[in-house]
Amino acid sequence: MSAPDVLRVIALAAQAEMALVRRDAVAGPLLAQAARAADGMPAGHVLAEAARLLRAAPEREAVRQAALSLCRMGLQEAQADLLGGAP
Amino acid sequence: MLGAAGADVDALAGIEQWARRSVVVPDGTGIVDMHVHLGIDRDGHALGADDLVRDLDANGIAAAAAFPADEPGASGDFREANLRVCDAATAHPGRIIPFCRVDPAGPFEAVMEEAHRGGARGLKLHPVAQRFRPESDPCVAAVRLATDMGWPVVFHAGFGARPLGPAFAALLERVPSARLILAHGGRGDHRALAAATAAYPDVLFDTSIAALPDLVMLPPERLVFGSDRPYGDHAQALHLVGAAARVAGWDAAALRAVLGGNARRLLGGVAP
Repeated sequence: MSAPDVLRVIALAAQAEMALVRRDAVAGPLLAQAARAADGMPAGHVLAEAARLLRAAPEREAVRQAALSLCRMGLQEAQADLLGGAP
Repeated sequence: MLGAAGADVDALAGIEQWARRSVVVPDGTGIVDMHVHLGIDRDGHALGADDLVRDLDANGIAAAAAFPADEPGASGDFREANLRVCDAATAHPGRIIPFCRVDPAGPFEAVMEEAHRGGARGLKLHPVAQRFRPESDPCVAAVRLATDMGWPVVFHAGFGARPLGPAFAALLERVPSARLILAHGGRGDHRALAAATAAYPDVLFDTSIAALPDLVMLPPERLVFGSDRPYGDHAQALHLVGAAARVAGWDAAALRAVLGGNARRLLGGVAP
């Protein structure tokens, strides 16, 4: 993947992280976008699971916290990818 | 709970395992989590001691430094919450390292002395929640007292609007021997904070909910592992350190230091 591809994932995941922290309903669409953008990248599977989980039960606090954890891991993985530490 | 909400529990368990495997823990590492809140926070986040220890066991973590959530109590001085954390440490010897929390605007000397008698081993200060500045006279006095007691001080340091570099530079100018742990890697003002504290080897940054680019810019001897439970979780926290190790190229000794060695040095032999 190119650097712009990875940067796009980082931007979307970072926005989704803060939306989840603030319990903002825009978190769901942002996570879905991040998951699509990360398809085929090391961050893809965690972001896809985060998006799927939040879509299933966005009103549940436990779901929000789990999605937030997954989102952060996806963000971390994408940042590592951009910085040259992809697995 | 997540299963009832329609989650694919097997997929989540697989991701947890993947996250834990992403950090190759060197043999002989006793992982120390330097950032855990116990109790029930005003914002609803909660964590009990038994749940914490179960979580430590599940993630191969030897011990955690724990301090009260933002629950100052009816007295407003955290006295009761501090004693609950000390009691939790007594109930789980060697697993929970108790830190006390105070509001520098209140009667912090008596609260810290009482916590010290109860077994507390450090201080937690939260300038945003308790609305004070790190460089203010009351805060400097609390840090000076903690330093005199031989305690490290964990500071919430991140996510705010106010610049952190000049504030901590001013604090350290007045208490240069303070042993500080700046939480969240100083996320939000990391560059200024790292520059302002570079001459103080006993000022470390914890990795809890930190930004990866911030962590990899620091030498590993300046980092301690943290989770920020219950706001963060251990799988994500371990994954972050694993990703930082990959990017920065830490060897086993560096990783051992970040995961536990640096915390032990700061705690002065309290951690197992």
